[in-house]
Amino acid sequence: MHLIDDERPLVFIVSGSRLLEVDRDLFAEIATGDKEAMSLLRKGAGNAPTPDMRVSADREPNAISLNLAQTCNLACSYCYADEGRFGNRPRLMQFEVAQNAIDNLLEHSSGRRVTIGFIGGEPFLNRPVMYRAVEYARASAAARGVTVGFSVATNGTLITPEDARFLGENAFAVSISIDGDSSLHDLARRDRSGVGSYAAAVSGTLTLLEHPSRARVAARATITRQDLRVTERIEALASIGFSEIGVSPLRTGPDQSLTLAPHDWPVFLGEMVRAADGEWQRMRAGQTARFSNLAVALRELHRGSSRPLPCGAGANYVSVSADGGYFTCHRTVNDPALKLGSIREGLSADSRADFLRSRHVDAQEPCSVCWARYLCGGGCHAEVIAAGRSGCDYIRGWLEHCMKIYTRSLSERPDFFEGTAAL
Amino acid sequence: MTQKIFPRNLTAQAAYQVAGNPATTRLEDGVGNCYPGLEFDHRNLDRRFFPGLVFEFVAQGDADTQRTGARLVRLETRDSDLTPDPRNASDKEVEAANRLRADLGRESVVLSKGDWFIDTIEQNGVEISLAGASDGNSPLDGMVVWRLVRCLEPDVVKITLVRREKSTIKTRRTVSLIGWRRKFLEPTTGVIKTVYQPGELTQSLCSPWQHDFRDCACDYWASNHPDIVIAQNPPGAPTDLPTGAPEIPVRSLSSVDWLRSDRKPEAAAAALGTFGANRPYQMDHYEINQRWQELNIVLLGKEISNIFRPRIADLANPFGSPDELADNLEFLAGIEHVLVLEYLYAYFSLEDPKNLRKNPKWPTLVEDLTFAQHELLMVVVSEMRHLRWANQLLWELDHAGLIKRRDPVLKPALEVPTGTGGKRPRALRILDADSLESFINVERPSGTIEGQYARAYATLRGRSYPPTMYQLAERIIADGVDHFSRFRGIKTVLKPYFRMPSPPYLRNNLKPASPGDGRVKRVLGLYQEILKALGEAYKKGDLEDAKSITQARLEMAEMDSEGQKLAREDVGIPFF
Repeated sequence: MHLIDDERPLVFIVSGSRLLEVDRDLFAEIATGDKEAMSLLRKGAGNAPTPDMRVSADREPNAISLNLAQTCNLACSYCYADEGRFGNRPRLMQFEVAQNAIDNLLEHSSGRRVTIGFIGGEPFLNRPVMYRAVEYARASAAARGVTVGFSVATNGTLITPEDARFLGENAFAVSISIDGDSSLHDLARRDRSGVGSYAAAVSGTLTLLEHPSRARVAARATITRQDLRVTERIEALASIGFSEIGVSPLRTGPDQSLTLAPHDWPVFLGEMVRAADGEWQRMRAGQTARFSNLAVALRELHRGSSRPLPCGAGANYVSVSADGGYFTCHRTVNDPALKLGSIREGLSADSRADFLRSRHVDAQEPCSVCWARYLCGGGCHAEVIAAGRSGCDYIRGWLEHCMKIYTRSLSERPDFFEGTAAL
Repeated sequence: MTQKIFPRNLTAQAAYQVAGNPATTRLEDGVGNCYPGLEFDHRNLDRRFFPGLVFEFVAQGDADTQRTGARLVRLETRDSDLTPDPRNASDKEVEAANRLRADLGRESVVLSKGDWFIDTIEQNGVEISLAGASDGNSPLDGMVVWRLVRCLEPDVVKITLVRREKSTIKTRRTVSLIGWRRKFLEPTTGVIKTVYQPGELTQSLCSPWQHDFRDCACDYWASNHPDIVIAQNPPGAPTDLPTGAPEIPVRSLSSVDWLRSDRKPEAAAAALGTFGANRPYQMDHYEINQRWQELNIVLLGKEISNIFRPRIADLANPFGSPDELADNLEFLAGIEHVLVLEYLYAYFSLEDPKNLRKNPKWPTLVEDLTFAQHELLMVVVSEMRHLRWANQLLWELDHAGLIKRRDPVLKPALEVPTGTGGKRPRALRILDADSLESFINVERPSGTIEGQYARAYATLRGRSYPPTMYQLAERIIADGVDHFSRFRGIKTVLKPYFRMPSPPYLRNNLKPASPGDGRVKRVLGLYQEILKALGEAYKKGDLEDAKSITQARLEMAEMDSEGQKLAREDVGIPFF
């Protein structure tokens, strides 16, 4: 249980992620641990069955990402992937590898919806394979009665009008790495000669943003300790034309001077809160939500999301390296410890199960005593494994703030939650 | 209890245990829970209080006296409570069920013929007779019987059924049965017993626009509907009194029953004095279900079945400039002027009531004529005032420096608006049915004149105009409605005479004399003098020339007596 003192006090019950608003007097009594108040709360909150928190590798993944190009045309200072090479020599995925991976995916997916993501490096450096893979996946999926969706993570610099048409026709979810206006973006995102990539990224992005067709285009900004501002990035990206903007703080990377240090987290939380408040004012005025960190949090809170893992890595999602290895996710490519098999041998159910068991949030410290554990899931595996947990206070502070906005938005923007199904 | 905990997100809501509705909404205590039922109609539960039998509680007013009480409607030998599961029931219960099943089987042929009612109920050694008075001819009301059944404990019950013959209750046959008051809930799950069919428990809940418009007597929302209303006007009936009331006054005063079954216009006769008296003529249950859409919406106490049509857009757009406004005011002054003359001529065409003898055929002629003459004179004077006000607006525009000075407007217009967008040539006419109708049309609200003043008014609301001006325009507009009403009043009074070839209130032979006629030389001279004096006065504007005004008034009085004198000789004044 976690208490949140707001204008309308809230009680968050960890099991089942139940959020209750309580009377102020009762709240004060609960805060002192008053027995009678606690009993009233227990009665009022009801007796929800404990959500199933077991993890298993019984089901094959329904999402894969293909590392089309383990190389990049940029040399961003904070890149986790060593310019896409993941510490190896640059390589491009051959079509046969993609084909095999797709076959494996579809084999276990009859009647389901599957997602195929293209990543890198910069996936558009291996454009022909992307095009062929999409064509092949559509045809095979149709033959098996499987619905297939596509996504791509790109730096946007290489998108041509043909690409825009291709992404639109195939209803891609396009995630563009772009950090804000040119001054913010070019701090880190430069090519090998040190020239900022902002102009090229915007030029490519606009090609798509102006004619998105069925493509869904989102901006994803990485925030380094060089500049912790959030609101300004959202505004800058919105002015380019993005309607969905997410930010991620840099936790790990080759250059330690860029990752957020312990004393940066309170500042960053302040920035996130400032951005969320601005966004909430927009929502109150009837405008759409752009800040996807907030929008996702609100919807997850509404559903009462309660999960034992932070993401689908290893469970319903795996990543395929350029040479056909299966890894827990796109950030662990080429890490032998997190390899789950190869397209030739197939996915190892044991490796997946071991991985999932070891990563269960209840098995993590200090997660097991944290009230936010089933909302957070324990943090990105790749980051935690590399650098341990940092910024947990930031996550709790952010969730608390989102809960406050959530109760307000329930009253003032109930339409925002329409169609959000219960888990 | 004040609520202290509010579940917010979906998982919290799903887990939330509802503490229960407040005591006032519990089944037993709910508002109107059996007539026919708001939250729940308890009778639907109790109609199966005795396993194997289904009753209907017939209330007084729903049927004649002989048929009130708990009437047997069905035998259900396949009632699941007659064959209890031995694992969940005691031996005693199984035995009781077996006996009742056998009894019902034996009596089923008898019970399936004729109308059977519960005659007595016995529990714990107490027997209650439902037969009512000792003669047995006035059995208890079904609602009372239901209350008694409701009070039974879920334990052994003995009932006696009686067959009520049509002719008499005396030669009756009875059947006694021993059973038990049904337990309505399944003991293991707490859900309602499956003997109740889907929809059975909710079958008579409150529903407006259906039965409840007839039946609801608990003054709750389903009973909230109009009882008596003013009927709408039949198609084609004039509705053009300025208040929107129908022309036939009796229609606007007599209320009709809103639920009346006969919906024809001619059936819209006044409702009777009491609820009960109207009841036989109201829609019956089946009719409400079939014809609810014929029940009219009621606005301000009046039925409306027409489709709502919004008024046409307000065309009272301001004029573009003070000069445009002034041009329009000059036009309006001409209209006011010509109306003064038309009305004045019509005024002189009326007989002088002082000179009329009592006429046995038209006993109210003198009073009618006095009224008409007075009302018409009021309109004439009012139009004269409007002529002055139109001029006043002109001089105020000048004084405010908004237009260049203009001369007073004292020329009558050549044409008169017809009120329907057209124009007619000006005419000097006696006050017969036709001319009266055209006067009504000229003054009709939202007609041409009012429309023009509305534009003037809209213009004068602008900030550059002195506030007194729009107030003046407002008064002229208000007077227009007054003129319209007065002419309508005159019409109502004079209407009976219109059928006569030569109506007795009228100087039927009055004709305008030729302008050169010596007999009208003096009166025309007075008219010119009046115009001249008014012109002098209006020229000075706010500092009106009091001397000229006084002179004009004296001349008007003189013209009045001169006009009357000429009219007696059937000589009309040829103003134009």
